[in-house]
Amino acid sequence: MFLRRLLAVSCLLLAACSGSKDPAPRAGSNDTPATIDNTAEVQAYYAAHPDFFVSKTPADLPSDLAWTDAGDLPEIGSPARIRGGVWNERIQDFPPTLRTVGPDSNNGFRNYLLDDYVIKFGHLHPDVAGPHRHYPGLAEAWAVDAPSRTVYVRLDPRARWSDGPPVTTDDVFFMFWFYQSSYIQAPWYNNWFGIGENYTCVTRYDDRTFAITIKEARPDMLARVLENSPVPRHFYREVGPDFVTRYNWRFIPTTGPYVLTPAEQQRTLTNRNSITFERQPDWWANDKRQFRYRFNPAQLRLRVIRETPTAWEAFLAGELEAFGMNLAEYHYDRLPDSDPRVTRGLIHKSTFFNDIPRPNYGLWMNTARPLLADREIRLGIQYALNWELVIKQFFRDGYSRLNTPSDGFGDMSHPTLRARPFDLALAAEHFARAGFRQRGPDGILVNAAGTHLSLSVNNGYESLTPVLVILQQEARKAGLDLQIETLDSSAYWKKVQEKNHDLAFAAFNVGVEPFPRYWECYHSNNAYDQPFLADGLTPNPDRKVKVQTNNLQTIAIPALDALITRYDRSESLDEMRGLGRQIEEILYEDASFSPGFVRPFYRVATWRWVRFPENFNVRFSTDAFEQNVHWLDNAVRPETLAVRRDESKSFPPSVRSYEQWKVKE
Amino acid sequence: MPLRLDPLTRKKLRRFRSLRRGYWSFIMLAGLVVFACVAELFISQRALVVRREGQWFFPSYGGILPGRTFDLDYDWETNYRDLHTRLKSDPAACARGDFVLLPLVPYDPIENCYPDQFFKPRPPDFARRHFLGTDTQNRDILARLVYGFRHALIFSVWFVAGVYGLGVLLGCAMGYYGGVFDLLVQRVIEVWSNIPFLYVVIIVAALIKPGLGWLVAINVAFGWMGLTYYMRTETYKEKARDYAAAARVLGAGDARIILRHILPNTAATLVTFIPFTVAGAIGSLTALDFLGFGLPVPTPSWGELLSQGTKNLTLAPWIVLSAFSAMTLVLILVTFVGEAVREAFDPKKFTLYR
Repeated sequence: MFLRRLLAVSCLLLAACSGSKDPAPRAGSNDTPATIDNTAEVQAYYAAHPDFFVSKTPADLPSDLAWTDAGDLPEIGSPARIRGGVWNERIQDFPPTLRTVGPDSNNGFRNYLLDDYVIKFGHLHPDVAGPHRHYPGLAEAWAVDAPSRTVYVRLDPRARWSDGPPVTTDDVFFMFWFYQSSYIQAPWYNNWFGIGENYTCVTRYDDRTFAITIKEARPDMLARVLENSPVPRHFYREVGPDFVTRYNWRFIPTTGPYVLTPAEQQRTLTNRNSITFERQPDWWANDKRQFRYRFNPAQLRLRVIRETPTAWEAFLAGELEAFGMNLAEYHYDRLPDSDPRVTRGLIHKSTFFNDIPRPNYGLWMNTARPLLADREIRLGIQYALNWELVIKQFFRDGYSRLNTPSDGFGDMSHPTLRARPFDLALAAEHFARAGFRQRGPDGILVNAAGTHLSLSVNNGYESLTPVLVILQQEARKAGLDLQIETLDSSAYWKKVQEKNHDLAFAAFNVGVEPFPRYWECYHSNNAYDQPFLADGLTPNPDRKVKVQTNNLQTIAIPALDALITRYDRSESLDEMRGLGRQIEEILYEDASFSPGFVRPFYRVATWRWVRFPENFNVRFSTDAFEQNVHWLDNAVRPETLAVRRDESKSFPPSVRSYEQWKVKE
Repeated sequence: MPLRLDPLTRKKLRRFRSLRRGYWSFIMLAGLVVFACVAELFISQRALVVRREGQWFFPSYGGILPGRTFDLDYDWETNYRDLHTRLKSDPAACARGDFVLLPLVPYDPIENCYPDQFFKPRPPDFARRHFLGTDTQNRDILARLVYGFRHALIFSVWFVAGVYGLGVLLGCAMGYYGGVFDLLVQRVIEVWSNIPFLYVVIIVAALIKPGLGWLVAINVAFGWMGLTYYMRTETYKEKARDYAAAARVLGAGDARIILRHILPNTAATLVTFIPFTVAGAIGSLTALDFLGFGLPVPTPSWGELLSQGTKNLTLAPWIVLSAFSAMTLVLILVTFVGEAVREAFDPKKFTLYR
């Protein structure tokens, strides 16, 4: 974090210097040293991999395909929406690059360049549950041929890049070349899009029709094809060994509604206090179903405000339209429901219960450590951690208990498993079975060999440190000593990835996916180099812990491995559901993950001129603005600002909780 | 045997006593230090005295007394406030003469004082004996201030010892030997002083679990340079005097000349700087804690309180007020003492070579 900030500062200085000497560099695409054209290289690559890049004619299309455009899905957004207005938002830092891949590109700004605003072939419908619920984006229609593991896609003829050219199958071919290229310095993409990794073949039938064949016909096959966005071939002609520097400050043409204009890029060369995206008035999807009621503001103005308290003041001053109220302190103390700004109806408060896979906050116990190798000790720890008190005191009862590491996947999550409660008697019983019966003079349990029951807890979330302090103080009652080690977040993660932890306070953030993943975190391949002897069952006495994997528990159970392998190969959701439950039960029995807490909602405070649809938002949304269903009612802004200064007047207040998707216990 | 000070030192001490502001500051500071050393007797969750069924307990110091000691049904440390209310409300116990004597502030610095309520800073509450209120994690601010002061003192003692040890040793050696050695060490110091201290601290704090020992080590590593220059000049001056030459003629070795002859004559300089070094140490520990690179949680510290306070300026002004006042008070006292010491030890007033 610190290094990143340093980098950002130095970039800023450099930019400021160059800007003052030479007022017209970098913003356009014609300032780079030598123009190169990679057309020949790209064509040669296609030719060198004839099995992957296949060209056919429309006549070769199978005739019996069942094309669909998912036209029966409900529409997102509200017809009452009003387009226009300036949406002011806060970003913490000016982006270090405008690239979306390569070094420094994986930061919060990528949301604006890619994740929330770019139109993919198809999107998961955020209001409808079930596996087949995509709605078309760039695609006009698609057809799935499960036996051949192929998805056929026809592009919408209206689909255009923001700089003019239409989106064609050229851009689809190029997407694979681009993500497979080593020039982009993005190993994750190289791996994911690599030949034979997830995709085995891409076929072009004409400019608008293509097919992608994937390796395994898993239940999420459609998502793996449709949830990609093509890469603009015409823009990336100059991709070469200097890609990272050459494309650092070029705005990528987008299929989404918002663009950075050259004038804005020019302005930000010398002024990096804000950056503004403009909505294209003639955006190709303006009238397309599922998009016509969304992306409403005419401008997105992102202001750089480093400190959260400063951003809060800016919000109260009306300079930002909205502020996230997820922290109890903001919701209850800084802007309680009784605050005059709320009671006078100037600021609206909304709580929305969403239904998404939950980040699995909890304590991950490294079973490769001597004390934690003993299951009885792990069980004792489970009962010695007072998460209930954490939820009550720190989160003020708003949060709920996480029960398994994969909560929030609907019926793919385990329906009945419940996390173990805080129970000192049971903790004492399990610790005693592990040989810890006596208490030392400091009240901590000691075994016959004189070993203290003392473990370290690694933490990288500065703001959540009080959570660990509560657990620590409560665990002392059970005779368990927890030493909290709070480190800078990147140093912390490095330590955990090196498996140098006893207990790690961590959470894996998951996108909205149809079913949980298990291999990364629980397969023995990610725990040890050679986990078992030749019989595949006996633990190998000489095994070494494998580092840089997500198996934070160093868990290696042959039966679990077998289930995970079957789960990963399964092509039926029903079978996966059954296997997933067995996996969860084994993990529960192993007791090496202590589930923490879940925030089952998001809260937001908005000024009165910010409007949402009747039901506020969509079921599978992680925050209020992700799906862009909000809009600005500019007619309301002047009167609101006027009333703010005149204390005798007020509007009807709005403090609402939307519980239509609240998960029933 | 009466303490025999040489007349010069006695004179200096008399002079120090006559500087009223500095002298009283010294008394107050010494009082605070003593108070911090025995803080358990005034601020602690543990009772001072428990008398139960004819038995006497003094839990303030030593190992914990589990709840079972007093027939409570748990093995962890006794909750003495709870025991206090139990015994008071039990007529039989009262008749036996059982009692619990709690300290003035019956809370620990890391104790969650409202175990069944939300985390929220609460204003001073004399009835519950939270004289300065509680912080964002329901902990007593007075307890955190006092124990934080204790940590600052321990840190200062080690810091001063380290800085003086290194600074005096190298400074004397530079001044005494001079020549190439002096030149070399001077260059080393110049290079070393240009390493940005804060960045090093941030990097180290990110990589290791920062404890008190590490913090002292890092601070000493970047804090010893200033003193060497004073010691170097002092030693240069002193070694040219006749008494040093006389000692050498009599056959004294380098170590003896430096330690027995030169060092005592530079004591005025050394003593003068101590209070300011202490003030600097407290300041830098607080700054590091404020930035989050200091002592591990949940160690009580002033910097952490200040940081909480600034984040809650409008919600809980009592946090920042307490921490800020405590810090200002102590640093002012230290500075007053420092000024008085400097004046009392000023060689222009008391020197043999007038």
